[in-house]
Amino acid sequence: MIPGADHLIIAPILIPFLAGALMLLYDERRRRMKLGVALVAAGLMLLAGIALLRRANGGGFAGGSDVGYYLLGNWAVPWGIVLVLDRLSALMVVLNGLLALPVLVYAGAGWHRQGQHFMSLMMFLFMGLNGAFLTGDLFSLFVFFEVLLAASYGLLLHGGGQFRVRAGLHYVAINLAGSVLFLIGVALIYGATGTLSMAHLSQLMVTLDGSHRPLVHAGAALMGLAFLVKAGIWPLSFWLPSAYMASPAPVAAMFAIMTKVGVYILLRLSFLVFGASAGASTGFGGVALAAGGMATMIYGTLGILGSQGLGRMAAHVVLVSSGTLLAVTGIALNAGDGVTMLSGALYYLVSSTLAAGMLFLLFEPMSRDEGGIAAMLALTADAWGLEPGETEEDADPAPGLQLNIPGLMTALSVAYAVAVLALAGLPPLSGFVGKFVILMGGIGDAATGGTVIWAFAAILIVAGFATLIGLMRIGIQTFWANDGEPPPVSVLEAGPVIALSAMLVLLTVQAEDVLRYTRATAETLEMPTLYVEGVLAAPPVAGSGEADP
Amino acid sequence: MIAQNLMLVLVLLPFVGALAAVTQPRGAQRGPAWISGATMAAGLVILAALRGPAGATWPLRASLHWAPSAGLDLAFRLDGFAWLFAALILGIGILVVLYARYYLAPTDSAPRFHALLLAFCGSMLGLVLSANVIILVVFWEMTSLLSFLLIGFRSANVGAREGARMSLIVTAGGGLCLLVAMLILGRITGSYDLDHILAAGAVIRAHPLYPPLLVLFLLGAFTKSAQMPFHFWLPGAMAAPTPVSAYLHSATMVKAGVFLLIRFSPALGGTDAWFWMVTGTGMLTMTLGAVIALFRHDLKGLLAYSTVSHLGLITALAGLGSETAILAAIFHIVNHAVFKASLFMAAGIIDHETGTRDMRRLSGLIHFMPVTGALAIVASAAMAGVPLLNGFISKEMFFAAAADWHNGTWLDNALPLIATVGAAFSVAYSARFIATVFFGPPATDLPHLPHEPVRWMRRPVEALVFICLAIGIAPDAVLGPTLNAAARGVLGPLIPHVSISPWHGLNLPLMMSVIALLAGAAIYFPFARRISEGPEGPPLLWRVRAVRLFEIGLLAVTWKWPRVLHRAAGTDRLQPQILVLVCLALLAGLGVTFGRLSPIGQRAMLAPDLAFVLMWIAGGAAAVGAAALAKYHRFAALMLLGVAGAVTCLTFAWASAPDLAVTQLLVEVVTTVLLLLGLRWLPKRNAEIPGDRLFPARLRRARDLVIAIIAGAATTMAALAVMTRPPGPSIGNWFLRNAHSEAGGLNAVNVILVDFRAFDTFGEITVLGVVGLTVFALLRRFRPADESAGRPAQQTGKAGEIDDLPMLVPSITIRWMFPVLIVFSAWLFMRGHDLPGGGFSAGVTLAIALLAQYLGADTRWIEARITVLPIRWIGVGLLIAGLTGMSAAAFGYPFLSAQARYVELPGIGAVPASTAMAFDLGVYALVVGATVLMLIAIAHQSLRSARQRERAAEEEGEAA
Repeated sequence: MIPGADHLIIAPILIPFLAGALMLLYDERRRRMKLGVALVAAGLMLLAGIALLRRANGGGFAGGSDVGYYLLGNWAVPWGIVLVLDRLSALMVVLNGLLALPVLVYAGAGWHRQGQHFMSLMMFLFMGLNGAFLTGDLFSLFVFFEVLLAASYGLLLHGGGQFRVRAGLHYVAINLAGSVLFLIGVALIYGATGTLSMAHLSQLMVTLDGSHRPLVHAGAALMGLAFLVKAGIWPLSFWLPSAYMASPAPVAAMFAIMTKVGVYILLRLSFLVFGASAGASTGFGGVALAAGGMATMIYGTLGILGSQGLGRMAAHVVLVSSGTLLAVTGIALNAGDGVTMLSGALYYLVSSTLAAGMLFLLFEPMSRDEGGIAAMLALTADAWGLEPGETEEDADPAPGLQLNIPGLMTALSVAYAVAVLALAGLPPLSGFVGKFVILMGGIGDAATGGTVIWAFAAILIVAGFATLIGLMRIGIQTFWANDGEPPPVSVLEAGPVIALSAMLVLLTVQAEDVLRYTRATAETLEMPTLYVEGVLAAPPVAGSGEADP
Repeated sequence: MIAQNLMLVLVLLPFVGALAAVTQPRGAQRGPAWISGATMAAGLVILAALRGPAGATWPLRASLHWAPSAGLDLAFRLDGFAWLFAALILGIGILVVLYARYYLAPTDSAPRFHALLLAFCGSMLGLVLSANVIILVVFWEMTSLLSFLLIGFRSANVGAREGARMSLIVTAGGGLCLLVAMLILGRITGSYDLDHILAAGAVIRAHPLYPPLLVLFLLGAFTKSAQMPFHFWLPGAMAAPTPVSAYLHSATMVKAGVFLLIRFSPALGGTDAWFWMVTGTGMLTMTLGAVIALFRHDLKGLLAYSTVSHLGLITALAGLGSETAILAAIFHIVNHAVFKASLFMAAGIIDHETGTRDMRRLSGLIHFMPVTGALAIVASAAMAGVPLLNGFISKEMFFAAAADWHNGTWLDNALPLIATVGAAFSVAYSARFIATVFFGPPATDLPHLPHEPVRWMRRPVEALVFICLAIGIAPDAVLGPTLNAAARGVLGPLIPHVSISPWHGLNLPLMMSVIALLAGAAIYFPFARRISEGPEGPPLLWRVRAVRLFEIGLLAVTWKWPRVLHRAAGTDRLQPQILVLVCLALLAGLGVTFGRLSPIGQRAMLAPDLAFVLMWIAGGAAAVGAAALAKYHRFAALMLLGVAGAVTCLTFAWASAPDLAVTQLLVEVVTTVLLLLGLRWLPKRNAEIPGDRLFPARLRRARDLVIAIIAGAATTMAALAVMTRPPGPSIGNWFLRNAHSEAGGLNAVNVILVDFRAFDTFGEITVLGVVGLTVFALLRRFRPADESAGRPAQQTGKAGEIDDLPMLVPSITIRWMFPVLIVFSAWLFMRGHDLPGGGFSAGVTLAIALLAQYLGADTRWIEARITVLPIRWIGVGLLIAGLTGMSAAAFGYPFLSAQARYVELPGIGAVPASTAMAFDLGVYALVVGATVLMLIAIAHQSLRSARQRERAAEEEGEAA
């Protein structure tokens, strides 16, 4: 008998949930306490993620399996909801934690003072992200999408201001439209197959009859569009640059992983539902993903080159990385064998998410000369005619944390260089390793060859080059052409940035371990039977005296 | 084993040194220089040690693990060719460090400079020693990046920034081409190992991918070695501090390209394509470079173009590819490095001492600095190819190789002629350098009065010039074995030993040399004055500046065109975005079902009921009406939306879904009232938007109407298609069958919500809570437009006086209803598990009760009596739900596992008590909290307005 359920799997969802709910009970003015709670929660979330990752990588789950299951409410699949922890979800959960911790510290430099319940909203965002990564159920996925979207609406509008509200409302509108499509898609799939479980759906795909299959396809296509809106595929990506630019820096940094949710779920569902074992549906959507991904890369490249400010440029960098991942997914789905490409893409996902997050954190200190946070605060307060009592509620400047250390700007310039190299995919940093493995898989293996791969390789190289040109332009302006006194940078802002660049360096040094992990992940993605059989066979905790009647 | 480890140390040492240098205190001058020099000296010692024992066993191999599963290992190999290059890098490096010690100004950051220099040195060593072609590209790009930082070292200078940027764009771009070339090589040969690739030359050359491979490879090599048309970055890079120019742009980095050409010539060379592209480009670059160099007025500009020209010479030799050509190429790499580094240093000294590099201002310097002058003259004589100096010998070998027969094409036949012309111009610019700078009348208008530099600044130049002489006089003794070993490293161990002598007798190469020397003098001296009075560049050609073309092109390609294209391919407006989304959804949905799915399935349909149909016609009309009126008549649109909602609610009731009907009804009430309250703060908009009746607007609306109709029809079809198919086995049926037996509830909907799929509910209540917080945060900062800030008409009487008791009767009724609604809410909650109701509808009911109070009375009056802290309610609700779910863990069950039983309560009887109910309580609290939070956010808007009005009135009173 298996002794109880494996509660660690749900920890990444519950920890931020409890912290977020708990903080609601306390007054808004106790910001330092809330910052502390948030940091502890994010730390625990990261630790739980790391523990899960180690278990997923070492057969640490029941029966020596690499995949862990958590049956919510103790109902077996397909009737109940299941959380599935495999290498891919563990990777995403850890990535979320790795980004979350620095972002919260950074927010502690003052961003969390600008509006209401910042830390609670952040926690709910983490909860939504982790839930989306962990769930094995389509409707539950929808719910967690809504959690993370709702939190992101609040965070994007955090602090107000005309530009922010305008961009924020666009973001809300387009995502609500996407959610409607998601719901229609889920309804169609449920109508055609009678199930909501991803694993069960995967199993049913082979035996689906000719009159139901098109319904599943239509449902998947509509649902896919909703994910693609999230992932920012062209031409559904126009909301993204303004929204990312308008959001407060720490929120924008978290948004770097939000596009990856769309990518993650497409990766997950494509291989699960339309992978090699899907009968007549094998490879469904692969062409669209590959074409759309490449179009997105081109659009993002044009945007990087045509942008004036770092914020807009960083948003387009996010588009490029998203497009790259979508294109690789599509190509691998079509080829039926793209383990090397996928393993490179997953590595690239980690690297580009961390680097893009870092870029958003750098954006504000780097453009502080032109205004920055203080000026913006003053501006918003002015524009919205706030009564003095309403913003001065948090007059404690957190002494000791605003300490300015000389040389921090130099550290920031080094960090910026790290981010640029990682994003442009130039040696010797992680971005290069990721892109190289993608290209090696694409060009090196004959299986994935063909004209598509050449077009993709050309776009990938050019996009990286454009990223270099664009970001270098900004870097030269900021760090070289700036003859005045460097603007003050607080430790709370520089620290997270330095930590993130250290992560990128570590990712490069430990490339072998990470690549081995992503390769194993890609292999399981391409052979979903382990996942499917495991989920469907996951046993509920056996009844005892206290069990359900 | 020791040798292997030593080799790894050799590559890694400079990086360690760089770290040590960068940690030196800011402003330190001596320390970093010592670290730098010591590191390079140690490297030279290692190199010498490796030569002795390892010479016999070359190539020596060693590797460090990095990412072996991706084929990325830090694998290194050392052969004669790499050894020679490494010696060059370290040897000239030491001299540059010594020179820089006295060159750098106190304001320059020496730690940064030396750290970058050392890192560059390490990258260069890595490049020449790589045994893995991908690692080679890694080091290749690192040299580009570090050279960017070194050129831009004095970043306050615009020229430095521009030169750095351009050099990075050109060389890093070339590096990316090289990366693709290496990937293709890996695909063809199945390995990234250098030895493996070099051994597979025949396979590579026969492969269909050979042409693109060759082009990409050459793009990489040519950009780095500044071959035309990519040469322009090198003169631009002269904005770098002189030690950097002397190191990177004469001796090391620019040689990386020719290194690569020579290294890969056995594998990629020997074809016609190789000959044409490599030799052709090399000869063109050599000649044009020499011509342009003659016309440059800037000392470093002349040297830069001279470097371009000499690199062209080496490239041409690599393109010829014969044994003698390769040997000559290697020899010239060394010679050029030696004399050019010394010339750059001399130019730096002149710049340093006189304050200018303009040859039109410099004159007669031999009077001021005789020693430096003599050194520079010898070095430039070597550059011109004067006998008994090193440049002469390798140039002779070049002439010999050029004169040999290769493939008989016109280019091959023209080689001796082109070579002579190029050499003649080379003599001419060397002559100009010597004649204008050092001879003639002593200059009078220099920024500083020139004098000899400090002794140690001149030492490196002396050393290099000495080497020029030594090689020129006794080449075989000085370099013979090394060069032969290097050639064996490239071409294989079987090639015959060549002895190099300064004198080959009277032959064709010597004749060419003599012609070149005489012609060079004949070109320069008659036109000396016209050259220095002319523009900066050769006649006619000077207007066509590659650098300008590049800048214009770069601006167009990386700025103007992307902006235009980006704007054309995107939009910032919301409407087109939604349009695209809808159209794509239609396209996707119809695309995958068209022709494969009939909208009507096999299931028998129910007979239409007249009442139902009429109800739906009314509901549909209301929905369409709401959409039509939303623009100008928000209030009417909202009412119609309410009608549509009511019809939905009736439909649920009709279709035996009482739970849904109840919930829908309650939600409909709450949302409509909240929206109405919100409408109060929006400005009225009755005036028509200008242009709304014009043709474009009508056309747009017609288009939207068509799309809307198609989308609606498609959605209907989809619903129809699902509903008319026989339902297979579905989890829904299982829920219905098992709700009571497994979960202990008669109301399957509620059981699904709080037990089977409680996790979804758990997520959704979080969403609701977050939305409440967001709305609250937004409205807190919301300030209404002036026109709607005043009292609404309903609160003022006909004459404008304020009615103190508006809505007296309704407000009392509402107050009386409060307890009733609370009881009703409790009742809904309690019956939820078995009958329609549940936490959600109960919560909404309580919220309606509170909402009604706010409608019926003054906000201040209410808040003086009941205090609702909605955010607490939200927090508590979430915590109850979460903790209830977690309580299952105490029994070893997963989150949200329900425990249910009937509890006998005195006087009431059997009451279903389950943990699901506690969960439902959390839902209840949250729904109340979130709804009331939004309500309060709106209600306090009126409070704020009222306060403002009062304040304004007070101020008026005071003023009066």
